Amino acid sequence: MDDAATETTLDADARAAVTIGRPADELRALWLRPDTQSRIWAHFADVTPSNDRTAAWITHGPAGGEYRWRTEVQETGTHEVRWSTLDGADVAHAGSLAFRPAPGDRGTELHLDVRFDPPGGAVGQVVGKLFHIVPREIVLKALYRFRALALTGEIPTTDPQPAARKGGSDR
Amino acid sequence: MRALCWNGVNDLRVETVDDPRILNPSDVILKVRLSTTCGSDLHLIDGLIPTMRSGDVLGHEFMGEIVEVGREVTKVKKGDRVVVPSFISCGQCWYCQHDLYSLCDTSHPKPELQEPLLGYPTAGIYAYSHAFGGYAGSHAEYIRVPFANTDCFVVPDGVADEAALFISDAAPTGFMGADFCNIQPGDVIAVWGCGGVGLMAQQGAMILGAERVIAIDRYPERLAQAEAFGAIPIDYTKVDVVEALKELTGGRGPDACIDAVGMEADGTGLQHAYDRVKQALYMETDRGAALRQAMLAVRKGGTLSILGVYGLMDKFPLGLLMNKGVTVRTAQQHGQAYVPRLLEHAQRGELTPAALATHRFSLEDSPTGYHMFKHKEDGCLRAVFAP
Repeated sequence: MDDAATETTLDADARAAVTIGRPADELRALWLRPDTQSRIWAHFADVTPSNDRTAAWITHGPAGGEYRWRTEVQETGTHEVRWSTLDGADVAHAGSLAFRPAPGDRGTELHLDVRFDPPGGAVGQVVGKLFHIVPREIVLKALYRFRALALTGEIPTTDPQPAARKGGSDR
Repeated sequence: MRALCWNGVNDLRVETVDDPRILNPSDVILKVRLSTTCGSDLHLIDGLIPTMRSGDVLGHEFMGEIVEVGREVTKVKKGDRVVVPSFISCGQCWYCQHDLYSLCDTSHPKPELQEPLLGYPTAGIYAYSHAFGGYAGSHAEYIRVPFANTDCFVVPDGVADEAALFISDAAPTGFMGADFCNIQPGDVIAVWGCGGVGLMAQQGAMILGAERVIAIDRYPERLAQAEAFGAIPIDYTKVDVVEALKELTGGRGPDACIDAVGMEADGTGLQHAYDRVKQALYMETDRGAALRQAMLAVRKGGTLSILGVYGLMDKFPLGLLMNKGVTVRTAQQHGQAYVPRLLEHAQRGELTPAALATHRFSLEDSPTGYHMFKHKEDGCLRAVFAP
């Protein structure tokens, strides 16, 4: 895609960055683990790995709609991970994650860029309507979840926990 | 189990809810021995903080006994009597490793609720609205504590439950506020507020070597407690505080002023009336009388240490700070950085937080406890619940 096209579809672009105090190669290896993808996107979709490179995604819209697609990770250099949806995706998109050294002792910067491109245009709004979440929120939360996993081995959660609703528990 | 739940503005009820369980490998489950009210709970109860949900379990200042441990928990064990800071901190991220525990990068499960408000998410906190993580609170028989290796501190022999309880929040918050003042020999420190945090800031300033500590409040029993701790009390309804502070410091002004009051400051005069009206209309959440007074009173080039919890405030006289060259330090408590030394100070009798525990209730009577605490009835400084 050339620069002009990038400009005209900017609404469809969800970008976010975080810095994680770990080396890039360790973070890249963790990102590419199939179970990592299932865990960090769990707020948005059920991700079922088919093998090391491909996965099936299912997500639910607010009105009960179900959307499916498959992703494939592409061959890239050691400072990047790229993936895109395969033909027939309900929500076509392509993503890239770049690993850059952070200054001083701060570790590695992760720059995530997901471009949604389903037919029909006005893509960011469409995705927002489908899921009631803005795309940037989806990818930023995934990055925060990945940072927690990389640093602590766990993802913070309150689900389920005691509450005086829904029969005594927050589910 | 039984738990004190928030069901809407000023609607607190003790209800039966599910027991918490271990969700992550470094979690523990605590049997709560004591849990206490905090002034910041009043902001939630009064509806000044959005993103509370009906049914949330309240309480963020507590201690108890570990009854169950996750598989990654190595530093504490079942049966340990522990105190836990209010902010949940992983111990692994850049912020935790720089002793900025309340800014932990990894403990907030709902960062998307907070990032638009603050730019970046803070640490999660127990029972402080969903924008701050939505973790269930401690006014309950049991509580789940994540990151137990970092957040659970074994209470040593010689430190009673009532003392350890406040080393969860009031003591580390107050002590941190005094630490922010970078106290040098001869320094005079003025503290606005003689609630739990203010009193602990006063004792903290003494431990850190202040020449003199001045305590400002309006409630006689609170001023009496400050005096018992060794501070010089000032009743702001009876004297002009700024003039009184000049008198007590030979015209210099306090070297540092600590605001331990926050958004529900009482006050006098027109500015207070203006603040109350705007707060009632949700045009601002804060009243701010104490903070403005501290900004005026602090000496040139001094330090303003802000511990009171604030949301939105207008009429903030920034020029006072700029023209006087004041250093401002503020944070939610970085408790994990202070708890070990505070437990030692308590063991040696230098820190006496048990004095804050003026009223004790069963969990079933906790709504009554909050009522007494909120209205400061019968000299209630802190209501303590024993589930």
